[in-house]
Amino acid sequence: MSEWQSQRLARQARLEAGAILAVGGGKLVAAGDATALLEAVLRPGDRVCLEGDNQKQADFLAAALVKADRARLHDLHIVQSGVTLPEHLDLFAKGIATRLDFSYSGPQSGAIARALNSGKIQLGAIHTYLELFARYFIDLTPHAALIAAVSADRAGNLYTGPNTEDTPTIVEATAFKNGIVVAQVNQVVDRVPRVDIPGDRVDFVIAAPKPFFVEPLFTRDPAQITDTQILIAMLALKGIYAEYGVQRLNHGIGFGTAAIELLLPTFGEALGLKGKVATHWALNPHPTLIPAIESGWVQQIHCFGSEVGMDEYLRARPDIFFTGNDGSLRSNRAFCQTAGLYACDMFIGSTLQIDLAGNSSTVTPTRIPGFGGAPNMGSDAHGRRHASAAWLKAGREASDGPAAMTRGRKLVVQLLETFGEGMTPTFVEELASVEFAKKMRLEVVPVMIYGDDVTHVVTEEGIANLLLCRTPAEREQAIRGVAGFTAVGRARDRAQVAKLRARGIIRRPEDLGINPLDANRQLLAARSVKDLVQWSGGLYAPPGKFRNW
Amino acid sequence: MKNALVPSRTGSWYEATARERISGLLDAGTFHEFLGPTARAVSPHLALFDLPEAFDDGIIVGRGKLQGRAVLVAAQEGRFMGGTFGEVHGAKLVGLLRYARDHHAEATSPRAVLLLLDTGGVRLQEANVGELAVSEIIRALVEARAAGVAVIALVGGRAGAFGGGGILAACCSRVVISEQGRTSVSGPEVIETNMGAEEFDSLDRPLVWRTTGGKTRRLLGGAGAYAADRIESFRAAALALLDGGIPAFDLATLAREQARLAERLEKFGACQDAPEIWQRMRLADAARIADLADEDFNQIAQAQPEANHDAR
Repeated sequence: MSEWQSQRLARQARLEAGAILAVGGGKLVAAGDATALLEAVLRPGDRVCLEGDNQKQADFLAAALVKADRARLHDLHIVQSGVTLPEHLDLFAKGIATRLDFSYSGPQSGAIARALNSGKIQLGAIHTYLELFARYFIDLTPHAALIAAVSADRAGNLYTGPNTEDTPTIVEATAFKNGIVVAQVNQVVDRVPRVDIPGDRVDFVIAAPKPFFVEPLFTRDPAQITDTQILIAMLALKGIYAEYGVQRLNHGIGFGTAAIELLLPTFGEALGLKGKVATHWALNPHPTLIPAIESGWVQQIHCFGSEVGMDEYLRARPDIFFTGNDGSLRSNRAFCQTAGLYACDMFIGSTLQIDLAGNSSTVTPTRIPGFGGAPNMGSDAHGRRHASAAWLKAGREASDGPAAMTRGRKLVVQLLETFGEGMTPTFVEELASVEFAKKMRLEVVPVMIYGDDVTHVVTEEGIANLLLCRTPAEREQAIRGVAGFTAVGRARDRAQVAKLRARGIIRRPEDLGINPLDANRQLLAARSVKDLVQWSGGLYAPPGKFRNW
Repeated sequence: MKNALVPSRTGSWYEATARERISGLLDAGTFHEFLGPTARAVSPHLALFDLPEAFDDGIIVGRGKLQGRAVLVAAQEGRFMGGTFGEVHGAKLVGLLRYARDHHAEATSPRAVLLLLDTGGVRLQEANVGELAVSEIIRALVEARAAGVAVIALVGGRAGAFGGGGILAACCSRVVISEQGRTSVSGPEVIETNMGAEEFDSLDRPLVWRTTGGKTRRLLGGAGAYAADRIESFRAAALALLDGGIPAFDLATLAREQARLAERLEKFGACQDAPEIWQRMRLADAARIADLADEDFNQIAQAQPEANHDAR
């Protein structure tokens, strides 16, 4: 026996321990034996990926793992993109898990901050999605992956359905490195609609009593979009989309970008931009993009995941979306993140807080929501080598060197209202995450998007084009110049800001020929979720929490 | 594939402010406001809570013309403090209804009051005076009706007509409601807080709407007319109700209302959810009521005996 085989032998032993629980020597395990199975195939100290991201959750397996006997399972190292269920935190409270590497915490952002504070969690790092996926293949390879799928056949072939998301990446890293893959499925069928994960990568399958949970994270109710957000969207469309001719892009999930999506068929149409901008997307299936799709603006969209209620619409629009032979959407977070990083000319999204250098963060003193994908979307990929008009224009604006040797730049646009919820200023001298990092003794301050990647800041006061700034002092005044009546805005150097405006670095609504009084909800292509349903021809079926009928 | 939906559908009642509703509802240029914002009759209580006031205290009252006929109008602004009844807010409405009661005899007098309700109920910061205001409004409303004035509630705003607003709607001669409109006394969150999410899950919005929403209220006869979510549709519905005759406010009408409610309770009292009622009513599209288009729904409602009656 060679010591080169130790992982494979360990896997064999785990499989044999689990096989005792499998029905008739196959891969199927009864739901009631889920905890026993995990106790049999996991070992203390294992790195475990308990599949969960910002959308779908292997929630049944998470609950089963929480019930494990701590004498048998302890000190697990959880390596997963989303820590979003209460069960994920319970693992640490019970001592079943002690170490954590993750990307996103969303609804658990307060609980995770408290657990970090109390020492229940030893934090490795907070990653972006792509970073964590990358580390799965280098030094955070899971010993076991507990995943979720829509259906399985008896050979373990999985249909993940429209919400494929992280599954292929997790399984790739685990199954090909002697790990164990356990899948919870909504149902066991004779034949899966399509094979998203081949059966020989899946060791055990459990039919869960309830379908796995999916969060409708990307649904923005048009009824909540404000006139201010509409003004900001108009500025962005006319001052950035039109000027750079941005065709390939990614949108964030806030109301600011939802407003832009709903202005494409109205304000965008009036600007004559149809077919010239916003044609190719790396984007989740945002319901607010339906009117633009139906109006013929969009040529193609690749998706990180799906969105609750959009499945039938997506199935009916295969010219636009990626679908399998069965007709349903195929999403893939790792590929879509890569696409957003390398194949898109612009990321545009809202942020909660921005400092004088343009660094932004969503961390507050008591919450750490993590990063998700925004830092990858919102950064210039230095490995990019192909040109596009938008990319070159941005690069040349930022450089005084010879054009031939000037690399392009990704447009990274931050949308903000100068005052956020509860009239808190969004422009600050110091990000709240700086204090948070001190308190948590983090090695790096959590920054969503670094200022040196940001190209434009758009507020209701206007657009600050940071590409055209030549010194840090100019950048600071450009940012102060669009910060309105916040303390940061009031401390601007009036003469400097006037000079920046003369140079086109700051552009007010009137400089762009936009009258703020024209910014109102009448411009939205859809003003309610019901309007979106009508646009979709009845194919979009919004979840209950977004209905008002 | 092109969609026929016109991108910008102007004139949504739900989206409009109270002033936009009035100006779209009445004949152009006929509205005359009583105690308008320039009079600055503001709440004497909100400043104590460091809360902003509104110069009209969230309600606009006045007179105008509807297809040439004189009417009185009150419109609550649901975006100011949820359209709630404060002391001044309530007093303005009481004054309007008493004016209707006292000035209906002459040929040119307004014979109808339109109440554009958009309210969550009593303003918590003005609790006692707010409750008193609602009581005074109910008395004034009943007195106006007894004097022969038609009082018509129009419900289709963001806040619905809850708390005292729900009671007022029930006291009116007629109610016009849209799909978005809701009427009830205790709001969904209040029920959930007191009785638990198992009793009523306020986040289950389809449940909220099929319990308190416009379609349900119309089919059960709580509202006499159903309007599409357009100001012009509310206008047409109000006119049709006035033209169709308003039931007299007398003992016979109240007895009919009592009998109607007793019969309703007997027929549907055991139902756990609105679709069960639709099944007992033998509605053709019982399972799809929520998804029906306005015109299709109106046809069903107009053919339904329970939905159309002279009791009020």
